[in-house]
Parts: sequence; structure tokens; C-alpha cells
Amino acid sequence: MKGWVTVTAVEASTTGIRAIEAEAVPTRFARGWHCLGLSGQFKDGKPHTVNAFGQKLVVFQSGDGGLNVLDAYCRHMGADLSKGRIKGDELACPFHDWRWGGDGRCKKIPYARRVPLRARTAAWTTMEQDGLLFVWNDPEGNPPQPEVAIPRIEGATRDDWTDWVWQEIVVETNCREVMDNVVDMAHFFYVHYSFPTYFKNIFEGHVATQIMNGLSRPDARPPGKGPRMLGNSSVASYHGPSFMIDDLTYHYDDMDLKSVLINAHYPIDGNSFMLHSGIIVRHSDKLPREGAEAMAHKLGEFILKGFDQDVEIWKHKTRIDNPLLCEEDGPVYQLRRWYEQFYVDVADVRPEMVERFEFELDTTRPVEAWKQEVEANLARRAAAGRQA
Amino acid sequence: MTIRADNRLLDGAPMQPLDCHQCGAEVEVRKASWHQTSVQWSSQALGACLERRAAHSGNGGGPDHGLFPGCTALRESIVRAALDGAIPVPEE
Repeated sequence: MKGWVTVTAVEASTTGIRAIEAEAVPTRFARGWHCLGLSGQFKDGKPHTVNAFGQKLVVFQSGDGGLNVLDAYCRHMGADLSKGRIKGDELACPFHDWRWGGDGRCKKIPYARRVPLRARTAAWTTMEQDGLLFVWNDPEGNPPQPEVAIPRIEGATRDDWTDWVWQEIVVETNCREVMDNVVDMAHFFYVHYSFPTYFKNIFEGHVATQIMNGLSRPDARPPGKGPRMLGNSSVASYHGPSFMIDDLTYHYDDMDLKSVLINAHYPIDGNSFMLHSGIIVRHSDKLPREGAEAMAHKLGEFILKGFDQDVEIWKHKTRIDNPLLCEEDGPVYQLRRWYEQFYVDVADVRPEMVERFEFELDTTRPVEAWKQEVEANLARRAAAGRQA
Repeated sequence: MTIRADNRLLDGAPMQPLDCHQCGAEVEVRKASWHQTSVQWSSQALGACLERRAAHSGNGGGPDHGLFPGCTALRESIVRAALDGAIPVPEE
């Protein structure tokens, strides 16, 4: 090691160099509902392999139509159940045909008189809603609480909305990177070529919200025919650690286009995650069924392009626990404080992780207008006081 | 993961207590510019907020899934405090 000097954080502070600090990625996975994608794909009569939460899982549909999620490794001799077959209500192991129920219990061993004691594997609580399959992860093993239920998405089951356009990509980094986007106002301009004029974050309980109104950037769009996009309004909330519902309206010069965008993920392991995007678009006079379907696909492509822009950054960046923020940045530290609640036991969730925090940037209201508004209110109140 | 302090709170202005003129709820406020505002609520303050209570009594589904975007009375209190100088606003 002769000739090499290791610069520690302390030494760096004497040189004036800012050290990047990063603890190891967490060894546990977030408590909460995680979306595994469109539920229909799991209903083809075959078991499916899903790598999630640092494990291999199997998803299968039992005879009653329900979707079940089990640890994929058979407790008998360790074979992969996701390579087996569905037989009635049970999943049959490809190795010795042991039959596993959706509750995680071995129901039958065709060549044995009785099933041995403790023939039970891990079963995850599942939920199917709005055409999507969700799985509940809780390192403490508790069932999901009703307060953290994923809200219904009205358009997902309505005839005047398109079907889901759904896409999935594997991203080779820790999933905290995607969460940071909730607050990273400036990156929307530099990475995604949008132009936020109003931006607000609200963290409260298990929900983290981003409200953003933006203008289209003429410098980022080739001039062309057709309707001109003026901008968009978006209200996006993470309901728990991984599932974001974005009520997103695109404003064109001749119409408003209503859509719901899902941005969701589940951790594969500490250093990779599966990133999902889903979109539905509402039909309108200007955009009836076929037009709306085409638009949903176009938006889907556009969103994938957005993911690619993020992934290109994530692939090459380093994990950083002490980002050096300027005043114009969003509340990265406060978001991570909120996010931490999903990585500790319920008993260790501290008030600061769940108490309401707001961050607002409003460039649409000139300071002069604020002053006038306050004066008008004061005058109104003074007048009301005189009348009383 | 350790919860770390925001470098802007360590090096710049801290969050400052402010009472809402409407309900008296005490929150912590910080302004980094005329356009930018941070508000830290406590559960006590949230319980006292009248607009919040009104919003949640009619809590239903809706496109925003019961989201409370913020209290207009508090917003006005903050603007006033900023204009009075009670909440400092860095010069631009």
C-alpha cells in the first residue's frame, strides 16, 4: 500500500474536498404492497417465476381463480416450483410431485401415506385490483393494514378509458434512485426536457405526493403539424414504498387529454429492481376509442424514453447518502426520511418519518401579486370587522 | 439507513415556528426565496387545522384519492410573515 493515501471524510474536510458518503444498501426490503404487473399474464394455467425481495418466488393461479405467491423452492428437496405444473388448486413440484396450496402448506404427496410435519413454505398475501396483481411484503410477517390499501383507479375498469399499456424493465441499481425522482424538480428540466412552473411535495403518513404543472419546451420538440402540446398537470402519489398513481392531464391547444400513469417497482435484490410503467387514457370527442388507444401507446413509448433517460444516469452514478443540495433543489433529505419508515419495524417508525411535510415552488405567482392578495384580504377583513 | 440532516438547514436558515392566524396551529416554516416554501407540520398542528378537518370530513375517492393539498389560511399566514419579515426571505 506504500505510496497510496486513503482520503477519509475527516481528512477531506481539512482539504475542503466534499466527500461522498454512502452506507451499504439496506439488507431488508420495504414493508408494503408491491405491484407484480398485469394480473392477466399470470392466468395462463402455468406457474411463473418472479425474482423479488432477494428471493425466487412462484406465482400461480389456483382452481378457484385466485392468484397465489409462494417461495419458489420446494421444502422437500429444494426444486424450483415455478418449473412445476398447476394441478387443480395446487402447485405440483417438478421433482417429486409434492402438491403445494396457495396458503403455503403441502396438501398431498402422491406416493406417501401422509405429509410430514412442518411441510409449510412462505406464502405472500396477494391482492388483485384494477387488472393488477399486488403482493404484500413485510419482514415482520404482519398482515397488511387497511390504512395502507392501494386506492382504486377508476378509469382502469371503465369502458370510456383504454386498457393498460404496460411495460417492465430491469434496472441494475438500488430502488432508492427511482424514489428520489419524487423530489428532484431540476432533473425534469435537464433529463426529461420538461419545464416545471409549479411544484409541490407533500409527505404524510405512508403517502408521498408530487404535484407538478409544467410547460412544454419548444426547444425539445421538433416543429410539426397536428395539435400543439402546451403543457401538463400532474398529481402523483406513492401509496407506500413502491406504487405511484399519477393523475396526469396533457394540455393541447385544442383539447385536454386525461390519463393515469402508474410508476411502480419491486426490488429484485439490493442492487436491482423491476421498474413498471402503466398508462390508461380517457376517450374524448377529439380522441375516441381508437385514437385514445393509439395515444396510450404513443405515451407509453414516450414514458419508456423517459425511463431510458433516468437509467442512463443511474447506470453510471454512485450511491450518495449526503447529496450536496442547493436552495433550488427539492426536499431530498425529507423524502428519504419519509422512505425510511418502510425499512424499520412498525414499532420503530418515528413521528418525523410520517408527520406532514410540504415543499412548494410556485413561479407562477409574482411577488407583487402576493402582496396585493394579502392587502385585499386584510381590507376585506377590516371591512367585515367594521360591519360586525 | 441513518436519517441525515439537510445540508441547507445546517448551513442556511433553519425552520422557524409560525402560528396560523386562523386556527393557531404551530408549524415550522422556511423560505428559501419568495417562490419557495417548506412547512413542517406536527400531528398536533394537523389536528388543529380547520381546513384539514373540513377536507377530511368529506373524504372520499375522487381522482386525488383524498389528498389534502394544503391549508389556504396557513399559506396566507406565511405570506404575511414573509412580508412582515417574521419569516426571513433571502434576497434574490
